[in-house]
Amino acid sequence: MIAAIPSAVLIGVDGKLVSVEVHVSNGLPGFTVVGLPDAAVRESRDRVRAALLSSGLPWPLRRVTVNLAPSGVRKGGAGLDLPIAVGVLVASGELAPEAVDGMAFIGELGLDGSLRGLAGTLVLAEALRHRTLVVPEVSAGEAALCRDGRVRSAGNLRQLVDCLAGRHPWTEPAPPPVTGGLPASGAAPGGGPDLSEIRGQRLARRALEVAAAGGHHLLLVGPPGSGKTMLANRMADLLPPLSRATALEAARVHSAAGVPLTPSGLPCRPPFRAPHHGASAVSMIGGGTTRMRPGEISLAHGGVLFLDEMGEFPTVVLDALRQPLEEGQVRVSRAGGSATFPARFVLVGAMNPCPCGEGGPPGHCRCRESARERYAHRLSAPLLDRFDIAVRVDRPDVDDLIGGPPGETTATVAARVAAARRLATERRVPSNAALSGPALGRTVPMTDEAATELELEMRSGALTARGLHRVHRIARTVADLDGGGAAIEASHVREALLLRCQRRLLLGEEPR
Amino acid sequence: MSGTGPGPAHAAALAGLPGMTPVRLARLLADGDPSETWARLVEGPHRVEDDRGFAASARRTDPIEVGEEYARAGVAILMPGGPGYPTPLAGDPGAPAVLFARGDTAVLEDRRRVAIVGTRSATPYGRKVASELGRQLAADGVVVVSGLARGIDGAAHAGAVRASADDPGRPVAVVGTGVDVVYPASNRALWEQVASDGVVLSESPLGTAPLPRVFPARNRIIAALVDVVVVVECHHRGGALITAEAAARRGIPVCAVPGSVQSRASEGTNGLLVDGCTPVRDAADVLVAVSLARTGRRPPAPAVEAASLVAARGRDRHRPGDGGRRRPDANRGHAERADLPEGSPERAVLEAVEDVPTSFETILLRTALAIPEAVDACHRLVAEGRLRSGAGWWSRR
Repeated sequence: MIAAIPSAVLIGVDGKLVSVEVHVSNGLPGFTVVGLPDAAVRESRDRVRAALLSSGLPWPLRRVTVNLAPSGVRKGGAGLDLPIAVGVLVASGELAPEAVDGMAFIGELGLDGSLRGLAGTLVLAEALRHRTLVVPEVSAGEAALCRDGRVRSAGNLRQLVDCLAGRHPWTEPAPPPVTGGLPASGAAPGGGPDLSEIRGQRLARRALEVAAAGGHHLLLVGPPGSGKTMLANRMADLLPPLSRATALEAARVHSAAGVPLTPSGLPCRPPFRAPHHGASAVSMIGGGTTRMRPGEISLAHGGVLFLDEMGEFPTVVLDALRQPLEEGQVRVSRAGGSATFPARFVLVGAMNPCPCGEGGPPGHCRCRESARERYAHRLSAPLLDRFDIAVRVDRPDVDDLIGGPPGETTATVAARVAAARRLATERRVPSNAALSGPALGRTVPMTDEAATELELEMRSGALTARGLHRVHRIARTVADLDGGGAAIEASHVREALLLRCQRRLLLGEEPR
Repeated sequence: MSGTGPGPAHAAALAGLPGMTPVRLARLLADGDPSETWARLVEGPHRVEDDRGFAASARRTDPIEVGEEYARAGVAILMPGGPGYPTPLAGDPGAPAVLFARGDTAVLEDRRRVAIVGTRSATPYGRKVASELGRQLAADGVVVVSGLARGIDGAAHAGAVRASADDPGRPVAVVGTGVDVVYPASNRALWEQVASDGVVLSESPLGTAPLPRVFPARNRIIAALVDVVVVVECHHRGGALITAEAAARRGIPVCAVPGSVQSRASEGTNGLLVDGCTPVRDAADVLVAVSLARTGRRPPAPAVEAASLVAARGRDRHRPGDGGRRRPDANRGHAERADLPEGSPERAVLEAVEDVPTSFETILLRTALAIPEAVDACHRLVAEGRLRSGAGWWSRR
């Protein structure tokens, strides 16, 4: 007898429908799985058999063949355990075919018959949204995110069979989702450290605010211990909450990567990811052989990607960031297929000014000029171009620090950021950083005085055409933060000129 | 042009052999004429100390061609006792056995010579002092000797070559590379200027690249050439200290320009002062330090209000032969700020900016101004030429 159970496997951040066909016939007792299973799927033979037996269900002492259709696609993961087990039960006559009609199954089995959650439940549930989906109890909440009802769950195989056979009612309330897998590397969203804990650093705080308000990528340059990491850690909380669309995209990525979702299901706070500089290109961009996993840039989708010690990252990894930074997504291609991951994030880089880390004013550190130059060039010119804002962060004098006024809280700054972001939305861009050259000229008025200021700067040779757009964009954000979204004034341009990213900041050149 | 005959040509060819160093060359040329040494080397198994394949290389080299090459490049080959060889070097224990020169070596004779040396990663303060010293000393007819490196060296020469339009200074550069290899490349114009107004000397043959070992070696030549060494700015271990030590060993006075005790670029110089070197503030101090009779002009005292002039007089009374001249930089900041209204952002910013480059963050902390106010104030001060800005640093003009 034959049974065909619908299920799905994860490819990148997309679910691919798989039909699990089970054939039970007379012949030498045996159990084969065909249809390009990977090691985890092949091992499911033993899990399925043990789970059935320990649940008190009969194992057919006949020839069992499982085919995973379409058979040309490689299938990975343990999520096919449950559909195989159900298929065997149906094909061997333990369950009536009508009992599973219109249903799809995903889930991993334990040897004792328990059902376990798996990475990517949200994405798989989306792919199977036309059917009633049966998932392990622990994944019910996550699966319910993208559907309205029609999610069934069970704690173990015995319970599931009883429910399917109608001997037992389905358990209704879905518990909060917790997926197994990797722990998140970022700080807890929302409840992160507060901006007011940073004393002094007014320029850097301002840069942080402008970057958050305009979605500008930000580079912090300074010696160790100057507070670069402290500043960056507070960036995600300055951003406004995620829109539902972005939150869903982020949740799909997180689900596919096995990162635990928040108790409420959808992430509402922008994610904060801070990979170590030992990260490989694949871990940053995404990839893998059988199962493509999203990289750090996709896990940071909608939030902040913080690269500490940027000069220590391999050049290959840094340069791989260029295209995603431009396009907001990354397409990973491998021999086995390709996947597109979303990757729109605010990049915050932190870097020492020179190899010894001291930097400081000209003549302060003893690094040779050539060494400083080499260090600065670890950031290639095209990558440096992606940064709109760069500021120097210095260790302030203790005396200056103690006398300084306490800083604003995250909440105060975040309110201004949110207001500025709303203005950008009215311009039909996610943030000012996305304003292109022509769009800038069209939609963004500028006072004559401000235009003169820019022209003077260009004529003096201190500003290139690319730099002009950059200053224009930053000035727009600064003006937005000032409130009202009115014309850009000269003072806004001057502040933008102060904040803009220039390589000279890394070289520690002297005042001209 | 002196010294392109057979003897010097052989010396140049010897200096150009692969693996040759000044010390080995001096040993080779210690007893005898270069052409004889060359012949001994080429002909065969002779007593050639420290032979590192020199004989084989020498057989492949034609010294006459080498001589012609130097003649074509306009580079003189100077040998001890020969024409053009700087007199101050004669009898020096570390005198180079052969010296290559672009320019007029006569400038080294009959004039007082002062070395102005210091760190390559100099602060704007150091550069300014070096340039001003170079200019004043050159204007007083003193030969300014330096190394044409980045930082202090270059600044000193830059000051010297523009000492005056009608009577250019006579700068002398002792470089580590070959005299045809400009290093750093950014000093090319200055390099040419020094060669045309004065002379560029090197003990390295044409084409020698900027190898790390050549620079400490040339410092001894600088020290041996001059009457006094002035270290303008130097980190606590720096090449300029090698020059100072070489000078001290020869009994040549070493002076140092004091700097801020917080500036790392002045750690070496301040250390020299603690060790008992003579402090110098300007060219006058340098000249006094070497007991030179001074007849030259004094720079005119800038106009200042009477009160600060009186105060300055009181401070400066003790200086020999100074006649109560006001130091040009005394109370400069005060004079600069005088026209700005008390309490204005500009005044606050100007007071917050030091002579060493100051970061914007520091300006914010010291002035407690709002960011837009501070930005505007800085901007206006830069436009008025009172402040300089660049790469996040601000300093007084």
